[in-house]
Amino acid sequence: MTNEVGIKVENLTKIFGSGDSEVRVLENASLEVKKGEFAALVAPSGAGKTTLLMMLGCVTEPTSGKIWLGDELVWDEDHWSIPDTRRIRREKIGFIFQAHYLIPFLNIVENVKLIPLTNGWPDKKADKKAMELLEYFDIADKRDAMPSQLSGGQNQRAAIARALSNEPQIILADEPTAALDMQRAVNVVKMLRKIVEEQNVAIIMVTHDERLLPYCDKILSIENRKVVTTTQDAHLIV
Amino acid sequence: MINLATKDIAHSWLKFVITAMGVGMLLGIVLIMIGVYRGMVIDAQVLLDDIGADMWVVQENTLGPFAESSRIHEDLKNTLRATVDIDKTAALAFLNLQVRTPDGVMKRVYSVGYDPHGDISAINPKRLVAGRTLEKSHYEIVVSQKLGFKLGDKIKLGRNIYTVVGITKGAVSSGGDPAIFLSLKDAQELQFLYSNARIHNDRARGLKVDADNHLVNAIVATLKPGSDPDAVAEDIRRWKHLSVYTAAQERDVLTKNVIETASKQIGMFTVILIGVSTIIIALIIYTMTLEKIKEISIMKLVGLPNWMITKMITQETLTLGVLAFIFGNLFAHAIWDKFPKRVVLEVPDAWALFGIVLIASVLASLFGVYKAIKADPRAAIGG
Repeated sequence: MTNEVGIKVENLTKIFGSGDSEVRVLENASLEVKKGEFAALVAPSGAGKTTLLMMLGCVTEPTSGKIWLGDELVWDEDHWSIPDTRRIRREKIGFIFQAHYLIPFLNIVENVKLIPLTNGWPDKKADKKAMELLEYFDIADKRDAMPSQLSGGQNQRAAIARALSNEPQIILADEPTAALDMQRAVNVVKMLRKIVEEQNVAIIMVTHDERLLPYCDKILSIENRKVVTTTQDAHLIV
Repeated sequence: MINLATKDIAHSWLKFVITAMGVGMLLGIVLIMIGVYRGMVIDAQVLLDDIGADMWVVQENTLGPFAESSRIHEDLKNTLRATVDIDKTAALAFLNLQVRTPDGVMKRVYSVGYDPHGDISAINPKRLVAGRTLEKSHYEIVVSQKLGFKLGDKIKLGRNIYTVVGITKGAVSSGGDPAIFLSLKDAQELQFLYSNARIHNDRARGLKVDADNHLVNAIVATLKPGSDPDAVAEDIRRWKHLSVYTAAQERDVLTKNVIETASKQIGMFTVILIGVSTIIIALIIYTMTLEKIKEISIMKLVGLPNWMITKMITQETLTLGVLAFIFGNLFAHAIWDKFPKRVVLEVPDAWALFGIVLIASVLASLFGVYKAIKADPRAAIGG
């Protein structure tokens, strides 16, 4: 872990609706996850975990507050301070979801190299990177297979490979193990742990499974519309 | 860069091809409709071209013999032939008839009566596929091969029985009905002579039975080389009681007065079909986009720019349009000769339709593009 900021949030507020139908999801919430840090985000259903993740991913607009991704201020109180949120997403962020959400009409290697190619990487470089990741996740022999031809676990590994293909500074994972059995869930989290340590990225993983928390450096929980941070020493556990 | 449209089409190529075939059949029908129109225009001029006259003389104040009824005296051909610039003349009689084919089916035909011993023949020798033209003044007939008769077959028309001596291909009336050729005398009898029952009845009523069967519907003439058709026509008009049309004017009468309504009708159908095809392509692309909306949301969520998604949809639409156009052409060329009337498929029409299909496809893709641009990236994760 370094002292470089991975994700930083200050006084973030998100209000849906107005008047009688107003719903305050977050109110002046703050958090910080450094590069090389693995944070779990836990909270009961409906507490705003996915909303927070979508705000950090520059998908949902906050109502107020500030968000930094790395050293870049992306949300400044009431507006995006970057011209193109999608560029930030494809250059700085890797997304992992509960389901793999691979594009069904692209084969595995194409799914993995799509974002680097969109970022302007030459095909050779993107292909090399994709193959490195597929080898890393032990699915290199499935490079030409379609997602429909792979098992759930293989697809999830391919999805993680895709999330890493653009060499992101931040990985946002929304319950990536929810659809997996315990053994596979532990394997995925160990994989993320390894990525954190080897590639110095900041990860925030939404999870409901307390058995996975020991693999994380930080536990972020949403209580009374604020984020409470608990730090622990995950390295001893892994 | 990965071409998303190619990948998506390859992933579900069978569905895509079947869809393109469906739209293609619709475009094929559009091509056939245009071909029917072209066929009508050609049919309308077949007799005109086969007879090859420079001038058509008909009853005064009529657009005869094709657009309006016309009756004039046969001997006018002799008077006309005496005109300075006229080379040859012929009297012609035209009549719609019903003929029982060898299959026992009654078919509408267009009978053309001409003098087999005259100066101008109504039969274009190039159209003869069997037998010969008429040689006798009575009871011979030349028929279209569409009727199914063989040489030597007997056909009963009116009071008489006629022997098939020749078979033609492609000789039709301005309405596209198969043409049959009779001697002028036989045609005049068929057209102007009353039946025995009618004569008997008229006599019983005390009426004078005086049918004139020396009438014809038109007299055609060819001019001597170097003559001015308009000047000659103007000279003949001055005699009164006659209308005269040059070959160009008669062609105008046929294409404007005879088939104009029908061609407008076909034009309307064609425009509607093109509109329907556009709507169908738009609906297909819209549905295809809706089917991919989850993938589109994922693409947007992971940061793919709008132009890549728009490009994918537009390329798929254009590919669908091009494939449908190819299938449409194949379909049209497979069925065009099954139509009872002439269908003429022309390359410029196909290219014009191709242009329209491309424009329609781009317009149709706008629905899909709009839906894709509106897609919420949060929909990818259901949040």
